[in-house]
Amino acid sequence: MTEIAATTPAPVKSGGLGLRQSQFKWLLVVPLIVFFCIFFVIPVGLIFATSFNPSAIGQVAPTADITLENYIRFFSRSNYLMAAGRSVVLGVVVALVTLIVAYPMAFVIAKTRHPGRNTTLLILVLAAMQLDMVIRLYGMMVILGDNGLINQMLLGLGLTSEDAPVQLMYNFLGVVLGLVQFALPFMILTLVGVIRGIDPSLEEAARALGASRRRAFFRVTLPMSMPGILSGSLLVFALSISSYIVPALMGGFRVGVLPIHIFQQVAEGARFQFGATIAVILFLLSAGAIAIYLRVGARRSGGLA
Amino acid sequence: MSYVEFQGISKQFGETLAVEDLDISIAQGEFFSLLGPSGCGKSTTLRMLAGFVTPTTGQIHVHGRDITRLPPEARDIGIVFQNYAIFPHMTVYDNIAFGLVERNMTKRDIRRKVEAALEQVGMSGYERRFERELSGGQKQRVALARVLVIEPEILLLDEPLSALDKKMREEMKFWIKEIQRSVGITTIYVTHDQSEALTMSDRIAVMEGGRVLQVGTPVEIYEYPASRFVAEFIGESNLLSGRVQEVTDGRCEIDLGPAAVPAQAPSGAPLSEGSEVALLIRPEMIRLHKVSEDEAPMLEGRIAEEVYQGSLRRYQVETAGQKLTVEVANRPDLPLRSAGEAVALYWNTESGVVVR
Repeated sequence: MTEIAATTPAPVKSGGLGLRQSQFKWLLVVPLIVFFCIFFVIPVGLIFATSFNPSAIGQVAPTADITLENYIRFFSRSNYLMAAGRSVVLGVVVALVTLIVAYPMAFVIAKTRHPGRNTTLLILVLAAMQLDMVIRLYGMMVILGDNGLINQMLLGLGLTSEDAPVQLMYNFLGVVLGLVQFALPFMILTLVGVIRGIDPSLEEAARALGASRRRAFFRVTLPMSMPGILSGSLLVFALSISSYIVPALMGGFRVGVLPIHIFQQVAEGARFQFGATIAVILFLLSAGAIAIYLRVGARRSGGLA
Repeated sequence: MSYVEFQGISKQFGETLAVEDLDISIAQGEFFSLLGPSGCGKSTTLRMLAGFVTPTTGQIHVHGRDITRLPPEARDIGIVFQNYAIFPHMTVYDNIAFGLVERNMTKRDIRRKVEAALEQVGMSGYERRFERELSGGQKQRVALARVLVIEPEILLLDEPLSALDKKMREEMKFWIKEIQRSVGITTIYVTHDQSEALTMSDRIAVMEGGRVLQVGTPVEIYEYPASRFVAEFIGESNLLSGRVQEVTDGRCEIDLGPAAVPAQAPSGAPLSEGSEVALLIRPEMIRLHKVSEDEAPMLEGRIAEEVYQGSLRRYQVETAGQKLTVEVANRPDLPLRSAGEAVALYWNTESGVVVR
């Protein structure tokens, strides 16, 4: 009897505790929310506000003076519009090239069952992310530069002359190559997760229904990788159009994409207001890409994302 | 003439031997089950027939053709998976059309066949649904339609009922059997559930540890198990250990310790006197009453436990140094017993089966 008396209140107590737990667990994300507000929401909000202020050299903080003159300036100057176009083309090209290079690797990693080999492959992919971006880009310069390994080899073979090296960098190609090597691990990791989640019996079912290995891949595996292809491409697109360091180093400031213009307005001209305007437009391009992604994603999965 | 023939099939995965020296022949139109606990090699056997696993040694013939090394798409075999493997990015219509598209049929023929297949499995009107909009039983029907529509030579079913709840399972058991009979397709069914195998199959192969222990009709497997494992795996069993005392044409006498009882001698190699055997008596074969005035009890014991189960009562009876399970139908003409009561146990001589 005493045992029963001691145990009966327990469920009530645990129920009460469970309720309190579900209320308190929101406290766990408070530090994140505070951090996010101070270092992201407020600065981005300030940039938005600043972009509507009249241009005043050296003025950093937003003022109450509202105008659209920065936006009018952006959309009436062809070099800014072309920079925006260049950024979008760059993002799309990098996303496509990265996807084509990354998919086979991701497929191999996802289909490697042996745990040791699988881990080794993943470590190799992650190893590419261990070094700082700048150091990796200097490494690429050693290979691609005007006096780099490739040009020296071509010179040695007598295929080019000293004063006309093959331009592998300081142009659009160099920026693309730099961004692809930067973006590859992100794409591979995104794809591995999705491809690994595809039930192998689906491919087997396709084979048994008469599809060759190739047909089964194109009719089942590839369409089922679509969520990974879409989100990986979106990620790479966003990383590419917002990258400053790669166009700066690999493009040598000759490939005028939006981040280069932002840097020039803010750091060289101290025109924070116009820099902020370009940043807002860059942000809208990314947001537009996300909107397209959600559209396509919803259609791909038959109405339910 | 056998239609599907496994000849000396073995499969080794690294160090482990998943299937060992398997010989099975299956007739055309037969419903054949591979029954055994998990890890017994039944799924590997099925996957070798489907072409997903290549045997280490041996050959598989279908209709006289050696298919051992053919890729799955060249085999003309349909398989229904445990999880149904409905393509989630396609509608029900496209799922069923999948195999027909691979066979380069015209759109019109595909439409006609898909509609007929949906009709056959009672799923007309579901063409535009996606996998996530179907219940377990509906997925099962779609998976079966997708396979039957390509009219394969053989139908493979890999534990197709294990993902369903009990009521649905009972329903689908008879439905699958009915479809199979009406199509007349040679079917190989993998299961660990002995009741599914017993109700659906024409013949069953009981497997354990990569080997086939016994092949036979459900009646043979249940009533004349060839080994202790089969006896214990199929249905409920009472196994009494004893010693062969006397063998006389078809009959034998088994010494169980407190008493010697007559039993049917097993087919195959003759029993040698003095050898250790087990006597199998199914719980429903044991009676607590005599059917004729002069029937002598086989054993005597005491009821240790009684469990009421609605249609029957189960007794645990202590006798010959162990406990026997006795099932008595819940009928007014049969006597009720209670725990502690001394009872006499009766069964027909042919109900006692000697298991080596």
